[in-house]
Amino acid sequence: MPHRQTPLYQAMFSAVSQTLENMAFVEVTAQPEDTPKNLGATVNWVSMLIHDPFQGEIRLAMSASLLRELTANMFGLETDEVGQSQQQDIIAEILNTLTGLFMTALLPDDQTYQLGLPEHGAGEFPPVDEDSIAWNLEIEGQPLVIIGSGAGLLKAEQV
Amino acid sequence: MIKRIVIADDSATARMFIKRCLQIIGLGDAEMVEAEQGKEALTAAKAAPTDLLLTDLNMPIMDGETLLKWVKASPKLMDMPVVIITSAGNPAKEQELLKLGALKVINKPISPPALMEALSDFIE
Repeated sequence: MPHRQTPLYQAMFSAVSQTLENMAFVEVTAQPEDTPKNLGATVNWVSMLIHDPFQGEIRLAMSASLLRELTANMFGLETDEVGQSQQQDIIAEILNTLTGLFMTALLPDDQTYQLGLPEHGAGEFPPVDEDSIAWNLEIEGQPLVIIGSGAGLLKAEQV
Repeated sequence: MIKRIVIADDSATARMFIKRCLQIIGLGDAEMVEAEQGKEALTAAKAAPTDLLLTDLNMPIMDGETLLKWVKASPKLMDMPVVIITSAGNPAKEQELLKLGALKVINKPISPPALMEALSDFIE
């Protein structure tokens, strides 16, 4: 089954859409091509571990300009008024919220799960490898990338 | 009538959204005390009569579930309604938290209607 038609892909796409439509009133779409758009010279990224019922990690990356726009939108500020700590908090809360929705959609109702706390990434955004799955999305033409890794997620992709 | 609310979440963004929702549903006049983790929220709730505690689950130092257990074990705080606002709340977790004494469990992203429904007994 093509990646974009799998329940795993749909669960994440739905989680991201619901999160950003509710928090920032923006529409999320899939990037039209399989080759991901360049995130730009300055990338902001954050990661979160899944501890239970399987071990995994979800990472969210977006360009500095997209994060600044989303932050301004949510805090009701002009983009030049947005501070670094506000941006860091917003991207962490977006990841926290979408990961919860994703896990809820992925797991049976009677299955609890345990997540770590969002952690800001340092350095280059780790690329997709054989242990990870990518969701290449965009908001008004600006790329937003989510990468899920871990055997539990890869197994869910094959269901 | 709700006069004092403690809001516990390690995210300033989440606290801002919760405060915005409280204002929209007509609780904007209540004193809103913010806490970044459970221990701070517990101290804030004990510091003055508190009518409502809204807490996230996943927080550093003291998480929301531990905070809920402390509140329900405290003679001073046990009657204070606790609403959990979380990104990690599926039906199984919700049942666990309700058994521990939570009034309601609301999933993030929070919305005014969801908060209104959870607090319907307390809003005039």
